Amino acid sequence: MNFSASFAAPRKLFVAFLLAMMLVVGGCRNPQTPAPPSETSQQVQPAEGGAVASDAVPGSAFNKFFPAGGDGYERVYTQEKTGFAEAKLKRDGQDIAMLAISDTISTPIAAQKFQNSQATIAGYPAVTVGNTQTAILVADRFQVKVISRSPDFTEADREAWIQRFDLSGLAQLK
Amino acid sequence: MSKPINQRVDELPTKNVTIFSLRSLDFVLPDKWENLVGWDNTIRTITGETDDSLIQLVGDRAIALYNDKSQGYQTALWLYDTIDSAGSALGTAALANKVGEKVPLLGFLNKLTPKADKAQTIDLTLKLVVEIVAFCKINGIPGDSIGDFVRSLGDYSGESLMRMAALVCFDGLIPLGPDFVQAVGERLGMLSPSELEDNQEFKKIKDEIPGKNAEHKLGFMGESFESVRGWMSEFVSSHDLTPQKVSNRLQSFIEFSDDRLDYLAAFLDMSTDYYRHTGVQTLARRLIERSLAEI
Repeated sequence: MNFSASFAAPRKLFVAFLLAMMLVVGGCRNPQTPAPPSETSQQVQPAEGGAVASDAVPGSAFNKFFPAGGDGYERVYTQEKTGFAEAKLKRDGQDIAMLAISDTISTPIAAQKFQNSQATIAGYPAVTVGNTQTAILVADRFQVKVISRSPDFTEADREAWIQRFDLSGLAQLK
Repeated sequence: MSKPINQRVDELPTKNVTIFSLRSLDFVLPDKWENLVGWDNTIRTITGETDDSLIQLVGDRAIALYNDKSQGYQTALWLYDTIDSAGSALGTAALANKVGEKVPLLGFLNKLTPKADKAQTIDLTLKLVVEIVAFCKINGIPGDSIGDFVRSLGDYSGESLMRMAALVCFDGLIPLGPDFVQAVGERLGMLSPSELEDNQEFKKIKDEIPGKNAEHKLGFMGESFESVRGWMSEFVSSHDLTPQKVSNRLQSFIEFSDDRLDYLAAFLDMSTDYYRHTGVQTLARRLIERSLAEI
C-alpha cells in the first residue's frame, strides 16, 4: 500500500516543482484565516518572538548529514522546515526510530540542557531525554536527536545511530 | 478568531456520523486508524513519554509552531477545514440526536441534492490537491531528491491513510461507481478553465492552488490526479472494493436502499467532515513530532 509504486517520476517532478514554487512565491498568505490567539510559553520562543528564528539554517541544508538506510533499514525523510529536518527509520515496514537535526538558534532552551551534561557521544555533549530520546549538540548550535519508536530500539541503538550522522560535516555548517 | 490547535484537538469528537463512517472502513484498513483525541492524550500517545513537564514543553513548542504563520501550518488546516462543507444543510444538531440509532436516509431526501458527475469529479480532484498542498505546507518538501519526496508522500499511515481511503470510498466509489478513477480522468480532461471557475469549492481554495490562472490551476489538478490515479486503482483492486461493499458497511448506522447510492453520497458529503477531522489529527501529529525533536 504505497503511493510510490505508481507515481511516475517525471510527472511527480512537475508537481513537486510547482509545489516548490508555490511555497517560495506564495508563502503562507491566507487572509481568510485569522491568527489564533497567542498563548505560548515564552521559554521555548526565540528572542524575536516568532517560533523560528529568521537566521535559522534551512532544513534542506541538514539532509546530506543524515545516515543512509541499507542493511534492512529504510530511511524516509518526513519533514523539512526552516531550522529542522527529520527522517523516519523503518525496518520490515515498521517505524523504529525518528532521526532529526534542528537549529537551536530558535530554541535556546534546547541548547541549555547540554550545559550541565558530562556525557559525550563522538566527542559532543550528549543527553538522554525522557524514555525515548538521545541527543547531542554539535558546534554549540545543531541538535542531533534520535528518538525510539519501538521498544526494541534501545538507548544503545540511539547512540549508535547518532554516530552514523556526518557529524563533522554538520559541525562545519554555518 | 480561529481556535488554537490544542483546543481543536481537545474538541475532536468521538461519536458522530464522521467517526461512524470512518470506522465503517475498518474492513479496508483493520486497526490502522485510532481516533486520537485530546491534546494531552495525543502528545503522550505520539511521543510515548510520561513526564508531565516534558509533555508540557512539547505541547508549548507545538502550539508556538502552529501560531507562527510563517510556518504554513495554519494554511494547511484552513485548507482541510475549507474543503469540507459538512453540516451546512443538514444541521449537525439534528444528526447529533441520531447518534446511537440508525439514521434514516429517507428523512433527509428532500434536503439532499446528489451532485452531478462533473461537480463530483471536481470535488474529488480538489480534495487530492488539498492533500498534496497541505502535505507540503506541513512537512515542506522532505529530502534532496524526487525519490525522497515520493517516498515521503508514500509513507502514509494512520489518520492520513484513512483520509485517503475515505476519499476513494466516499468521494469515488459511492458517487461515481467502480470505474471512478477512469471516469474522473476522462471528465477532468474535458473540463474547461471557465467551468472550473464556476465551481463553488474551487472558488474557495483557488488562491492556494499552484498556477497563475484557472488554466494553470486546472493543469495542476490534472497532474495531481494523474500522480495518484495508479495508487487509487491499486487501492481499489488490492482491497477488492466495490460501492456495494462500502455501502453495506455503512448500513450499520444509516438506513437506505441500495438503489439510492447517489443520495447516500450526498448525505455523506453533507454530514461528514472527514478531511477536517483527520486533517487536525495529521497536523497535530507532525507538530508534536517536530516539537519533540526540537526541544
